Amino acid sequence: MCQVKKAFLSEYFLGVPREIYLTFLTRGLLFSLIWWALTNGDLSSWVIGGPAVMLALIVSMLLIPSTPLVWRAGVKFVFLFMLRSLMGGIDVAWRAFHPRLPIEPDLIEYPLQLPPGVAQVVMVNTVSLLPGTLSAELHDSVLKVHVLDGQSDVKTELMVVEKHVRRLFGLT
Amino acid sequence: MTLSDYLSVLFLLAGAVFFLAGTVGLLRFPDVYTRLHALTKADNVGLGLIVIGLAMQAESYASVGKLLLIWLLVLLAGSSISHLIAKKALQKGVRMWRR
Repeated sequence: MCQVKKAFLSEYFLGVPREIYLTFLTRGLLFSLIWWALTNGDLSSWVIGGPAVMLALIVSMLLIPSTPLVWRAGVKFVFLFMLRSLMGGIDVAWRAFHPRLPIEPDLIEYPLQLPPGVAQVVMVNTVSLLPGTLSAELHDSVLKVHVLDGQSDVKTELMVVEKHVRRLFGLT
Repeated sequence: MTLSDYLSVLFLLAGAVFFLAGTVGLLRFPDVYTRLHALTKADNVGLGLIVIGLAMQAESYASVGKLLLIWLLVLLAGSSISHLIAKKALQKGVRMWRR
């Protein structure tokens, strides 16, 4: 009995890392929530929903490796993202309506510190929704960013975002 | 009309302004890259505001969830697709407009 408890507290349980169980659980919860929303909480729909959630879970575990997220950093990231993407929308709307079209496009290269994989994908997708930046190409961890206004301090902005993504994935 | 009705009208109108901005940008901006800026960012905010406005009128939490899901999927699709289009344009050597 004591040994079972010890086994569960250690890094592995039944030969599988504990991370995997956690990922399984959170993803399962997320998919169930999506099904619940899609079916307006209809209980009888779970006859199909249960297997569908299970299948989605299996496919996601096969396709996307388990990536432990730091939840507190996640909340911060979501706030930063919402705020900055709102600014991004306001910024580009202002430029579009302005009679003189105040844009001065430029293309810059930004070497990513993030490891390849999910973290880089999150970064690339976030950059496109930030004020005045559009990630144009990612090659060998160097991100080409199209900038709407070459005068703005894009590098600092990108560094702030990258820092948040690092924390989100628990990389320091 | 109740207060939440007025608020939702406000959000919906604000959302429409951003959609208009996105379209104006699409027409006025000079090249593919700058047009992508206008479309992804303005439409994302516009849709976000419209989702908030509609969520206030929703009958259940499940429909609020559905609206949020729509917004998230559009965010994801918008940013990935704009990245893919920009990438392809760069690879094909589409010149970017400079002042």
